[in-house]
Amino acid sequence: MTSARPAAGLGVSALAGRPGLRLWGEIGLRTSRTWAGALESLPGLGGSARCVYLELSGVTFVDVAGATALALTAQGLDGGRRIIVHRPPPSLCRTLEMFWSDLAGIEVTA
Amino acid sequence: MTEATAATGGFSHPALFYRGADEYLGATTSFVRAGLAAGEPVAVAVPGENLRLLRAALGEDADRVHLVDMADAGRNPGRIIPRILRAFADAHTAGGRRARIIGEPVWVGRSGTEYPACLQHEALINHAFAGRPVTILCPYDVRLAPAVLEDAHATHPVVVRDGTEKPSPSYAPEQVVASCNLPLADPPGPDPATFAFDGDLLPDARHFALERALALGLPAGRGDDLALAVAELTTNSVVHGGGSGTLRLWREDGHVVWEVRDRGHIGDPLAGRRPPPPDRPGGRGLLLVHCLSDLVRTHTRPGSTVTRCYLAVGEDGGKLLP
Repeated sequence: MTSARPAAGLGVSALAGRPGLRLWGEIGLRTSRTWAGALESLPGLGGSARCVYLELSGVTFVDVAGATALALTAQGLDGGRRIIVHRPPPSLCRTLEMFWSDLAGIEVTA
Repeated sequence: MTEATAATGGFSHPALFYRGADEYLGATTSFVRAGLAAGEPVAVAVPGENLRLLRAALGEDADRVHLVDMADAGRNPGRIIPRILRAFADAHTAGGRRARIIGEPVWVGRSGTEYPACLQHEALINHAFAGRPVTILCPYDVRLAPAVLEDAHATHPVVVRDGTEKPSPSYAPEQVVASCNLPLADPPGPDPATFAFDGDLLPDARHFALERALALGLPAGRGDDLALAVAELTTNSVVHGGGSGTLRLWREDGHVVWEVRDRGHIGDPLAGRRPPPPDRPGGRGLLLVHCLSDLVRTHTRPGSTVTRCYLAVGEDGGKLLP
């Protein structure tokens, strides 16, 4: 066993200046409810804006279930709307490439 | 090629025993061209050198064929069904159209560690494609060990040899699947790195695996693959495998090897080998593990499952020793 690490939680706050959320921490089994809640609120944040934003530069890891939840949220958006995902961790990019490489509702920006 | 490959309706899965390049190319090009002539979508997934030969022999016809290097894309036999065979068949058989695939998962040079996974894969194809309008022709080099050719009779309902197609009297895919579910060999070294985890320690298990794997020589560029796969199997243990499990890592024959042991049981032999529709919430975890690993072996029975994954290390491309 290694020494205990700080609990790996997930924080959420509203973005200033544009519709969306900033998250920090990691997305896995123990934080899946927080992530689901964030995703559920996301489409409503923009009003009728075409894009909503997820700022993920503070997220260190997203497991497959977390990536799936994001992809399903994007698939459920009304036509033409999309989620702009800013600086996601490599784990999320890897899973999105593998299973949803042609998903129009997500745009990843660096 | 005759009845099996001209079959209409259901699934057809002949083995082709070949001796030398001429026989190989004669049989495979006629199979491909018969498909093209019938307007069928055709894919060829064979290992590098055979792919090069076949591409050259097909000439311009090669442009109408989906070509895949099996030695790369199918290095882990566990991902051949979902990522190569069904990926192609599902995309091209809409409306009942028939698809035609050459799939060569076993070649001279496959290691003794890899081979049981190849055998299991060949047996599972029959289950995975039952009733689907697809023909998958599997070439076998007759220089392969006699036991491998015997196994091919058990995993293919029909065998083509010397241009003659015969039903296989020893076809028994279910028995092969059962025979592949065996206890895994002990790690070669004395003390594999070990970490016991439960739901509160999932991130720690992932960090432990990553640190140890890098110390064992895993290239940094594969760290994310490892982290994703470890997260998946350890989370499975917590959700489906009794709430906890044990993670172990070691180095073996040019690979970093890691495994997760828990109290679950995988009753479905095709678990992790079905491509989920894009809008389905679950069903990607084990598939992802297969996609990110160079080999996956599993032993499962009621109350105990071990899933062991191999990641290549080093300049030799991580070829497992025979």
